[in-house]
Amino acid sequence: MLPPFELRRPVSLAAAVDLVATGGTPYCGGTELLAVMRLGLASPETLVDLKRVPELVGITAAHGEIRLGARVTHREAAASDAVRTHAAILAAGAGLLGNVRVRATGTLAGNVCFAEPRSDILTALLALDASVDLRSADGARSVPIEDFVEGAFTTVRADEELLEAIRVPARSGPSAYVRFAPAEHPTVTVAVVATGDGCRVVVGAVGERPELFTFPGTGDVDPTAIAERVDITEDLNGHEDYKRHLTAVFVGRALEQMGVADA
Amino acid sequence: MSELRVVGTSVPRTDAVAKVTGAAVYTVDVTMPDMLHARVLRSDRAHARIDDIDTSAALALPGVVAVVVGSDLSSLFPRFGHIVPDHAILAIDKVRYYGEPVALIVATDLMVAADALSLVDVRYTELPAVLDTDAALADDSALVHETGYSGVSATPVVVSEYSHRNVAHEVERGWGDPDGAFAEAHLVVETRTHHPMLYAYAMEPYNAVARFTDGALEVVSTAQHPFMVARDLARVFSLPLSQVRVTAPYVGGGYGSKSYTKVEPLTAVGAWATGRAVKLVLDVEESIYTTRADSADVVVRTGFAADGTILVRDFELVLDTGAYADNSPLVLDKAVNRCFGPYRIPNLRVRGKAVYTNTSPASSYRGFGAFQGNLAGETNIDQGAERLGIDAAELRRRNLLLRGERLMPGLRGMDADLVADLDLLVDELDAGPAPAGRLRGVGFGCAATDAGAVPSSTALVKMQSDGSIVVLTGSTELGQGSRTVLAQIAAEELGLDMAAVRVLQSDTATTPFERTTGASRTTTLTGLAVQRACADVLARLRTAAAEVWECPVDDVAVRDHSIVAGGRSMSYGETVRAWFGPGGGEVVGQGVVRRAGVLAELPPFWEIGMVGVALDIDPETGQIDVHQLVTVADVGRAINPVLVEGQDLGAATQGLGGALTEQLVYDGSQIVNANMVEYRIPRITDRPRTFTSIVAERGDGIGPHGAKGVGEGARNPLPGAVAAAVARALGVWPDSLPLNPEHVWRLARKGISQRSGT
Amino acid sequence: MPELDVSTTVNGRPVEMRLPTRLTLADFVRDRLGLTGTKVSCGMQVCGACTVLVDGDPVSACSYLACDVDGREVLTVEGLADGGELTPVQRAFVDCSALQCGFCTPGFVMAATALLRDEPHPTEEQIAHHLDGNLCRCTGYLPIVEAVLKASRAGGIDE
Ligand SMILES: Cc1cc2nc3c(=O)[nH]c(=O)nc-3n(C[C@H](O)[C@H](O)[C@H](O)COP(=O)(O)OP(=O)(O)OC[C@H]3O[C@@H](n4cnc5c(N)ncnc54)[C@H](O)[C@@H]3O)c2cc1C
Ligand code: FES
Ligand code: FES
Repeated sequence: MLPPFELRRPVSLAAAVDLVATGGTPYCGGTELLAVMRLGLASPETLVDLKRVPELVGITAAHGEIRLGARVTHREAAASDAVRTHAAILAAGAGLLGNVRVRATGTLAGNVCFAEPRSDILTALLALDASVDLRSADGARSVPIEDFVEGAFTTVRADEELLEAIRVPARSGPSAYVRFAPAEHPTVTVAVVATGDGCRVVVGAVGERPELFTFPGTGDVDPTAIAERVDITEDLNGHEDYKRHLTAVFVGRALEQMGVADA
Repeated sequence: MSELRVVGTSVPRTDAVAKVTGAAVYTVDVTMPDMLHARVLRSDRAHARIDDIDTSAALALPGVVAVVVGSDLSSLFPRFGHIVPDHAILAIDKVRYYGEPVALIVATDLMVAADALSLVDVRYTELPAVLDTDAALADDSALVHETGYSGVSATPVVVSEYSHRNVAHEVERGWGDPDGAFAEAHLVVETRTHHPMLYAYAMEPYNAVARFTDGALEVVSTAQHPFMVARDLARVFSLPLSQVRVTAPYVGGGYGSKSYTKVEPLTAVGAWATGRAVKLVLDVEESIYTTRADSADVVVRTGFAADGTILVRDFELVLDTGAYADNSPLVLDKAVNRCFGPYRIPNLRVRGKAVYTNTSPASSYRGFGAFQGNLAGETNIDQGAERLGIDAAELRRRNLLLRGERLMPGLRGMDADLVADLDLLVDELDAGPAPAGRLRGVGFGCAATDAGAVPSSTALVKMQSDGSIVVLTGSTELGQGSRTVLAQIAAEELGLDMAAVRVLQSDTATTPFERTTGASRTTTLTGLAVQRACADVLARLRTAAAEVWECPVDDVAVRDHSIVAGGRSMSYGETVRAWFGPGGGEVVGQGVVRRAGVLAELPPFWEIGMVGVALDIDPETGQIDVHQLVTVADVGRAINPVLVEGQDLGAATQGLGGALTEQLVYDGSQIVNANMVEYRIPRITDRPRTFTSIVAERGDGIGPHGAKGVGEGARNPLPGAVAAAVARALGVWPDSLPLNPEHVWRLARKGISQRSGT
Repeated sequence: MPELDVSTTVNGRPVEMRLPTRLTLADFVRDRLGLTGTKVSCGMQVCGACTVLVDGDPVSACSYLACDVDGREVLTVEGLADGGELTPVQRAFVDCSALQCGFCTPGFVMAATALLRDEPHPTEEQIAHHLDGNLCRCTGYLPIVEAVLKASRAGGIDE
C-alpha cells in the first residue's frame, strides 16, 4: 500500500523546476520511487510528475553527441537508431535490463538519479563518458557521470535539482556490453569502449557503483588486474572471491565480443 | 474394456476460456455486501513476551472499525492446527517468530487499515530465540512452546512425548538387523545433505472473505482442503460443522502450500469482532512468512554387497518445522517413509525429528517429505554406484522393487514396473556432446511415494430431466484440471458429451465430503467416487423405469446409454421425466470411496517419480542450462494425456527451481529474501531446451480405467537428478542445494584442484 | 487524502472518476471498475500477473498510479474478447493448454498481445526475452511459448 501524497503534474520545465524547488520529489516512471514508497523507505509529501513536461522528451543527435531527455524510457533508447549507432552499448543495456514493463515505463534519468549499484545504465554511461544536465531554480550545470554518482543510491544532485537530459558523446568505434544476471539484478556488468585515445573498461554491479578502468589500447586491458582492483560488495549474488573471478571472466568475454584476440 | 470415447482423450480444459478472458473468479476477486478490509500487524522479533498492546491511536483513526489482539479471543478456542492445535490465531502472551500475526486491523477501506498498522503500539520483552535446529535441540535451549496442547488430531499422526521439548514430532522405523548387516557389507557409503527451506509461491497469495449470517459462519478462501478448514473453524467458534461453510472458488495455485488452515481463522475473527463481512488478502512477503517447506538435514549410510545389492540403509533426518507444527509431523512421517525406497531394503533404520524453532511455520509443499529425503537417498545410491564401479542405472535395476514386492511391511505392494520405467527414462537421456565451453552432465533419479492420502471421498451425480448432469465433489480445482478430468470420467460413464456435464466443487455446505486435494489423489479416488456415483444413478434409473413400465427391475437394463426392457427404451432424461411426471425432478446418485475393499490397503497407489536431466554447465561462471528434461509418468491410464504431461512438466520445473535457484535465507530472525525479486523461481528463459514426457500406461492403477495419480512424482527425484548431473560433469558431489552459479563454480574449482592434486 | 480527477478510456469505455493519488492502476480496475481479470501477485513488478496495456505499452498495474492513465487508454484482459470472440492469443492459450491455475494467464495474454503488435512473427528467443518478466508457477512455460508461436501463425492480435 502506498502512503498518501500530493501529485502535481506540471506542463512546463519552469513549473516543474519550481515545484521541485519548493520540496516536491521528481517522479517519472515510478518504477523505483513507488517501490521504495511501498516498502515504507520514503514518504514524500508531493510527487512532481515529469511525464507532461514537453522539454524533457526525446532523443536528439547533434554536434557529435546524443541528448536523451529525462522522459526517455529504456525502450525508446534501445529502439533508437541514433543510440544504436552511436552508443551501441547503451542500447544493449537498456534493451536487456529488468523486464518489458520496466523498460516501457522506467526512464534512464530515473535510473541514473536512483543510482542503484547494479544499474546497467550507469555502467554503459560511464564507459561512454556521458554527462548529465541538471537544472534548478538558480540555474543549470552539467556533471560527468563519473562525478555524478557518489555511491550506492547517492548522487551529487541537490534535492531541488532536476535532471534535464543525459548527454552521450557519439562514438562509432568498437565497443562491447556483457552482463551476467542469473538473478533479478545483474551480478556483474562490463562495458568496454575503444575511443580514439584509449580504451575505457567499466565494471558494474559487483560493488557500490560502477568503476572505470582506462588503458592505452584494447590490447593492454588486463582482466585479472581489473578483477584484483575492483571494489566488491558481497550480497545474495555472491561472495567476494566469486565476484572477482566473474569480473575477470566477463571483462575477457567483452574483449572477445569486440574481437580482441588473446583476451 | 470397451472402447473409450472421452477418457484417454485430451479434451480442452473446461475452465480454459474463463481463464483466458479474465472471467474466472478466484477468492481474491470475491466481495460481499458491506464488506470490511483487514490488515495484519506482525511481530518484528523472533521470540518475545508481549507486555502491552496499545490500540487506542489506531482505533481513533476514522474508518477503523476494530483492532483485534490475542487477548480478545479468550471466549473462543484461540488456536488451530489439524495435528497439534498449537497455532495461535493472534499471538497470545508471546510471539514465536518474526512475522507472526499480533493484531488484526479491520477498517472500511484497505488504505485506512494499512495506515492504522503503524498506530498500534506493541511493547515486547525480548526472549532468547532458537533460530535453527541445533540451537533448538541444545540442552538448555529456550522453549518455543512451554505447554503441550490438547485436541484431537485429525490426521493419523500419533503425537506424544519426545526426547526434547522443542521436538514437534519424532519417528523411528525399521526392521531386520541393521548393525549386523553393516558389519557384513562389502562397502558402506555415507552421505550428508542439507535441503534448504523453500517457498511454494502459488501466485494467488493466501486470502479469505468471511461473514456470519444467522449464526452460521461462511468463509470463501484459497483452501485446498475446505473440509479440514471447516473443522478448525468449528472448533474456534464452538459451532457445529453444519454451521460452518467453507467454499473455494478457482484457486491461483496451491502445490500443497494451501493445504490446511491458513488465514481463515484470522479473517473469521475479524467478522466475529465486527459483525460484518471481512476480507483479508496477504501480500507475498506475508505469504512467505505464513508457510514454507521444512528444511532438512539428512545423514544416510547404505551397506552394499559387492554386486551392488543393498543390504542395509540407515537414515537420520532433522526437519526445521518453525514455530508451529502445521502439517510438519506428517511431513516427517512421509519423509521417513519416502527416503529409502523404492528399493528392496532387507535391513532398515530410520530416525527422524521435526523440530520447533523461532522461524516461520513449515508445512506441505508438493511431494512433502519426499524431495527432502530423496536428495540424500538418491545421491547416496549414485555415490555407491560410483564407488562400486557399477553403472548407476544398473545398480538401481538390481535393487528396484518388483511388481508386488512391499517397500514396507503392511503397505500395499508395488503396483508399477519400476525397472521398465527406468529403462524408458535412461534410453532417452542425451549424454552429449556439450556446446563449446560447456560441460554436459546427465543425472536421473527414482522415487515411489505413498500417495493418495487416506481414502475418503464422496461424489454426487445429479441426473437432470434433460439428461444433462451436475457432478458435485468436495475436491478443489487448483489448476491441475480436476474439473475437466472428473467431467471426462462422468461423461464416459453415462455416454454424455462434455457439454452436458457440469462439475461443481469445494463447498462444504453443498458438495459432499472430500478429505483433501493433495497427494495426487483426485483422479484416482475422487474419480472412483464419481464413477460409482454414475453407476448409482444408473441403478436408480433402472428402478424408476421398472416402476414406470411396471415390470421387475431385473428386466430393465442399460444399453447404449438408454434404459431398456423388452422392446421398450427411454433415454436417461425421459426416464427422469416419466418417473417424476410433469412436476419435474432429478435422480441423485452417490458414490463413496473409503478405506475398504480394494482400498483397504494403504497407500491407495504408489506414485512413481522417474526423471532425468542433461545439464550444460559453464564451469567459468557456474551457470547451468537445462539441455534436456525427461519425465516418466507411470499413471496406469492417462484420462487426459495433455493434462498428465502438464503435471509432469510443471512439477519437474518446480523441482528444477528447488534444485538450481530457490532457497529462503534466514539472517538472524528474518528471511532476507522474502520477496519475488530475490527468491528466484524458474522463468521462461530457464525452460529446458528439450522436454520428453513419457507416459507409461499399463492400466495397473486402482482408479477409473486403471488410472493412478500424477502431480508430485516428477518433483521428488529432481533435486537428486540435478545433483548427480552436476557431480558427473564436475567430479565433485554437492551436499546441499540450491546449485546456483556461485555454488556450482565452487564445486567446479574444487573438482579441478582435486584432479590436479591426484 | 489527496485526490485527482481522472478521465480515461478503459477497454474502449470512457471513465471519469475522482481517485486518490495513492491508488494503483490494479486497484482502480479491480476494485473501482470491477475488472478483476487483472491479478496482483508479487506486487514488485517481477511477476507480470498485473500486466495491462496503457496506450499499447505493457505496464505493471500493481506499481503504476491510477492517476497516470488520465488522458490515456487502458486495455485489460476483459477488453480483448469483445463480443465473446476470443483473440488469436487467447484461442492459442486454450488450444495449447498454456495454463493451469490461470492466475498468471491474463498477464501472459496481455504481454503476448503487446509483443505480437510490435513483432507479428517473433522467434522463440524473442518470445522468451519479451515474456521473461512474466512468471508462471504451474506450466513450466513450454506450452506458453508454443501458444505464442501458434497465435503468431494464426494472424497475431486481431480478431
Ligand atoms: C523489476 C525491476 C528490475 C530492474 N532491473 C534493472 C536492471 O537489471 N538494470 C538496471 O539498470 N535497472 C533495473 N531496474 C531499474 C530501472 O531501470 C529503473 O527503475 C528505472 O529506470 C527508473 O526510472 P523511473 O522513471 O521509473 O524512475 P522513478 O522511479 O520515477 O524515479 C527514481 C528516482 O529518481 C528520481 N528522479 C526521476 N527522474 C528524475 C529527474 N528527471 N530528475 C531528478 N530526479 C529524478 C526520483 O525522485 C526517484 O528518486 C529494474 C527495476 C525493476 C522494478
Ligand atoms: S503483481 Fe505486478 S508485477 Fe507482480
Ligand atoms: S497457470 Fe498457474 S501460475 Fe501460470
